[in-house]
Amino acid sequence: MDAYFYIILAVGLISSGICLVAGILKRAPNDVTILSVAAVELALLVYLVGSIVRVISGEPIAGEAWEFWGYLVTAMLLPPAAVYWSILERTRWSNFVLAAVGVTALVMAARMNQIWY
Amino acid sequence: MKAPNSEATPDKASASAKDTRNTGPGRLLIAVYAVFAISATARAGYQILTKFSEAPLAYLLSAFAALVYVIATVSLAKPGRTWFKVSLAAVLVELVGVLVVGALSVFDAVQFPHETVWSLFGRGYAFIPLLLPILGLVWLYRRRPGKRPATAGG
Repeated sequence: MDAYFYIILAVGLISSGICLVAGILKRAPNDVTILSVAAVELALLVYLVGSIVRVISGEPIAGEAWEFWGYLVTAMLLPPAAVYWSILERTRWSNFVLAAVGVTALVMAARMNQIWY
Repeated sequence: MKAPNSEATPDKASASAKDTRNTGPGRLLIAVYAVFAISATARAGYQILTKFSEAPLAYLLSAFAALVYVIATVSLAKPGRTWFKVSLAAVLVELVGVLVVGALSVFDAVQFPHETVWSLFGRGYAFIPLLLPILGLVWLYRRRPGKRPATAGG
């Protein structure tokens, strides 16, 4: 596991935690929960840029390259989709939807690490 | 992610008049189903394209599971009685699938490498595949057509 994974682990868990608590407190999605999901997206963006730099500088991907990029691109689609989905209906349940993003991103990042090394 | 179009999201007043299952807790359910639909489809596609001959039966089941998740996701997001029946069928098939494939993967590890969504009762996915159909059935029961009260889930 590399630093990129640990960044997403930390940001993802914090984001999921914030959204989960907000959902339990019966809050609708607000700036805090939506920004926490945006932070997950940012962490994935850092992973993307870092990975591109590593590939250009000649570092090999141990597993299937297309599988790695597929995971990364799919993971990056999740936060915007969840935010859009949560803005459509502003109830506590949308916060639980947002909470799912951090956990999912972290699982996918773990898988991406396995593919890379 | 193909976020189901929610033009059909009714305002609170008409929520009871239409048979919808995409409000409140249903949204979380649909979101989780969507994630599983995407990941199961991608995984099955990958397995069938790269190593189909290793365990054809398991990978065909992988593809079948993916299809069930896609149907469940779409049907839960759509209003109406017909879609309710489709949801019910999909969720029931899913429940049977996870139980049968789970059992087979325990007893017949050769035919079933532990690589489908439903293997070992979904252990590779934190048992969510086992939990989803149960939650799905509860939700469908609460939102069954012809039910009067307009409580939008608590």
